[in-house]
Amino acid sequence: MSRAHEPVSVTLAEDEDLPVADAASQGVIGCHHCGTVWQGATEHEHCGVCHAPLHVRKIDSLTRTWALLIAACIMYIPANMMPVMVTSTLLDEQRDTILSGVIYFWTSGEWGLALVVFVASFLVPLFKLVALGILVISARRRSRWQRLQRAKLYRLVEAIGRWSMLDVFVVSVLTGLVKIHGFANVHAGIGIAAFGAVVVLTMLASLSFDPRLIWDDAPPISTVNKKQEPA
Amino acid sequence: MQKRPDLIVCEECDAVYQRMPLGEREIARCLRCGAELERDTGKRLQHLLPLTVGALILFVIANVFPIVTIELQGLSSQTTLIGAVVALTRDGMSEVALLVLATTLLFPLIQLGVLLYLLLPAARATRPPGFVLLLRLMQAARPWGMIEVFMLGILVALIKLSNMAEVIPGPALWSFGGLTVLLTVVVSFNPRYLWHLWEQQQAEQFGDQGAGA
Amino acid sequence: MTPPDTPQDKPALLQPRRTRQRNWLPSLVWLIPIIAAIVGLTLVAKILVERGPVVTVSFRSAEGLEAGKTKVKYKDVEIGQVQTLKLAADRSHVLVGIQLNQEASGFNAEDTRFWVVRPRIAASGISGLGTLLSGAYIGADAGVSEETKKEFVGLEQPPIVTRDASGRQFVLHTDDLGSLDIGSPIFYRRIKVGQVVAYDLDSDGRGVTLRIFVNAPYDKFVTQASRFWHASGFNMELNASGFKLHTQALSTVVLGGIAFRDRDEDRVSAPAKEGSEYPLVEDESAAMKEPDGVPQTALLYFDQSLRGLQPGATVDFRGVVLGEVKSIGVEYDRERREFRMPVLVQIYPDRLGRRFHEETGEERRSNAQLLRLLVKRGLRAQLRNGNLLTGQLYVAIDFFPKAKPAQIDPEKVPLELPTIPGSLDALQQQLSDIAGKLSKVPFDEIGRDLQTTLKTLNKTLSTAEQTAARINNDIAPEMQAAMKDARKTLNAAERTLSDDAPLQQDIRQTMQELSKAAASIRVLTDYLQQHPESLIRGKQEP
Repeated sequence: MSRAHEPVSVTLAEDEDLPVADAASQGVIGCHHCGTVWQGATEHEHCGVCHAPLHVRKIDSLTRTWALLIAACIMYIPANMMPVMVTSTLLDEQRDTILSGVIYFWTSGEWGLALVVFVASFLVPLFKLVALGILVISARRRSRWQRLQRAKLYRLVEAIGRWSMLDVFVVSVLTGLVKIHGFANVHAGIGIAAFGAVVVLTMLASLSFDPRLIWDDAPPISTVNKKQEPA
Repeated sequence: MQKRPDLIVCEECDAVYQRMPLGEREIARCLRCGAELERDTGKRLQHLLPLTVGALILFVIANVFPIVTIELQGLSSQTTLIGAVVALTRDGMSEVALLVLATTLLFPLIQLGVLLYLLLPAARATRPPGFVLLLRLMQAARPWGMIEVFMLGILVALIKLSNMAEVIPGPALWSFGGLTVLLTVVVSFNPRYLWHLWEQQQAEQFGDQGAGA
Repeated sequence: MTPPDTPQDKPALLQPRRTRQRNWLPSLVWLIPIIAAIVGLTLVAKILVERGPVVTVSFRSAEGLEAGKTKVKYKDVEIGQVQTLKLAADRSHVLVGIQLNQEASGFNAEDTRFWVVRPRIAASGISGLGTLLSGAYIGADAGVSEETKKEFVGLEQPPIVTRDASGRQFVLHTDDLGSLDIGSPIFYRRIKVGQVVAYDLDSDGRGVTLRIFVNAPYDKFVTQASRFWHASGFNMELNASGFKLHTQALSTVVLGGIAFRDRDEDRVSAPAKEGSEYPLVEDESAAMKEPDGVPQTALLYFDQSLRGLQPGATVDFRGVVLGEVKSIGVEYDRERREFRMPVLVQIYPDRLGRRFHEETGEERRSNAQLLRLLVKRGLRAQLRNGNLLTGQLYVAIDFFPKAKPAQIDPEKVPLELPTIPGSLDALQQQLSDIAGKLSKVPFDEIGRDLQTTLKTLNKTLSTAEQTAARINNDIAPEMQAAMKDARKTLNAAERTLSDDAPLQQDIRQTMQELSKAAASIRVLTDYLQQHPESLIRGKQEP
């Protein structure tokens, strides 16, 4: 009886083929904000607790995610090719892109930092783009392939998304700090604006993706009453 | 529509479950996809207010004092967070400046501020005005607060600088470190449980009605 | 409505009783914000405590200053920082708000001075170059007053002398400023030891008074016997004694300067008191001159051309400058019916006399007596060439034992000294003598004799030429032929004797055959020795 005092987040293996009823077919909607479950609610009706509009699925999730993803892909190219930081010292001016910064760390022996920056600023955004791409495409085709893994993939994308902002912050700190007249001056380059755009766009993309679509076999046959359209 | 407090729906796969009361520190997980359905808030709510206050104080310190001072050939330079944002604006990168400002100043501040406002003892009696709007605002701001990434960014920048200049950490650096820790704890608290906070209290005040079947 | 059939979620334990516990943990958690608050307050308090007073200094321009960055330094130690930069209400100057540190709280004394240190070129030199890299900063000179002020007027130039500089001030008087200015350097043995602090025109307009400051520890070298002179630029002298160039230091070429020295370096003099006054003279030689004593005017009459003699030319006694020429004139002597050139000179017999006295130890006699004695010994005045280049003349006074005796009347005013013709005259005389001698030479006769000799020579030469021609025409071809034969013979001999000459080859062949023959004879004899019977029986087949 007193096992309540022990932490008990038991995780038995999830089973993706478990036959569970999903909310849409049961006629209930869970409020996205406060978690309250409502029965017999219509689409767009406001939650009684938190007044947020209730939706069976996120509106136009795939379209929005796809659009944001493509925009992010477009911005990814200048983000990596244009210089993100310009260091002007007494003798010369050095333009750094994200990758050249990684190489700089690597060649000066700071392997840990090189790895951190490489992962955070190069791998993570790339991973996000690819992962979201996979998620959108597989959701569009209502594929049953590896649903559990895809769900976990989505969780991963959400969790690590913010860390690709690392380079933006590094450049900002350096820009604000290294302003010694005559000796060294650091300016932010165009690349960092593009990079920031990539981060923001991928975050918005992952926020607008509705993970429930991974589990839908068909567009949800909802027993939820739709709002009556004016004739 | 009808409230169904006996049910809980998985946010990630839309599976419906029976809602069970949770023991201390227990987490309910979806059987199908493993997502967290709900967790026991327990003492965390009590800890939340002091942690928020502490975080806010550290936040102020972190922004008022310089983060770090570098010295090169007898010349020195230092900056605060706002100083970095201003420098970016002066360089013409106003969009990036805005992004940095939002993610390190604005959104964390909104989160902390709203939490403070909602949790202050005076507001406990009834729902404070604007509760709904503020809580929605806080939930919207939640994924966009990136102070811990900023902290790591400072560290990376410092290591990069330590090659060419002498680096002297300022009081704001330690503040940011502490703030990162506190914020991680504060943010890990899902504000959705606050929606039911008053209901629970009301239930306790007026006897068992409604919530918690 | 059928309740939805749902599988159980986990971990469905029975509900424990929910009890409200009074736990102490919340108060422990409150430690965190409390600690944070304490840390924050400590930091703020520390900053507030470390703050000193706030002052406002007005400058004409804020060039090089930056709010929140520019430091205020005293003796290179940071004592404060510029916080704000504002334009004054009437827009004539800039108000700089300075936050001083706690340890610098004495810097708001009433007589504190502030100035901006920037790269600067001034009379005292180039300063502040370090600020090119580090940015300008504000220098301060602490005041000693008890009163404090909040608003100051900043100096536009760094002060010449900071309050803590030790040394002494002195006063110099001179005719004109020359190239001096505030900040012009003072040199002692070519080292800069001080500078001009201020100057002013005398109230009667007849001179300039300067105030100079000599830094410690050099101020002790300024003694009562010190002499000051202009060391401005370079001194060029072109006179009878030649061409001289003096400089003190390169900076004085541009900036001007003053140098000083003890007149008599062998004697140690007491250091001068603060504020002592000195004359400032033109150059070093003027400064080091001995006091001249009473000048004596004398008149000299010369019979020769005075071209090249100018007022100011030296009167020289065996290299010692006795005085100078004051004026030159022309007189017509009615009695003798000739022109005379009176030259008025001013001499300082003391220059001569003192030394003379020191050497001979005689009593000091009156000037007149002295002169009479000297004239008797042959003292005369003579014009000499000072500089062949410029033709300048100077007056030399010297002893000429062979001179015509002359009288001197010591009572005449001005005193008249006897003269002797100049050395140039003598030269002229010699030249004319030579010319006379030359004219006596019988050039014509010499010329004629020379001609005759030349003719004879010519004849001799032509004979020789003929002889040579004969040799060439007759004898030479025969000799040529003889040589050709000789050569042929030689060639033949050579051919015979050369290595591949046929004769040689034949000889060689013959020798070879001979040796072969000898060899075979030997073989034969050997065989015969071994087989003597072969002689009869012939060779036996083996």
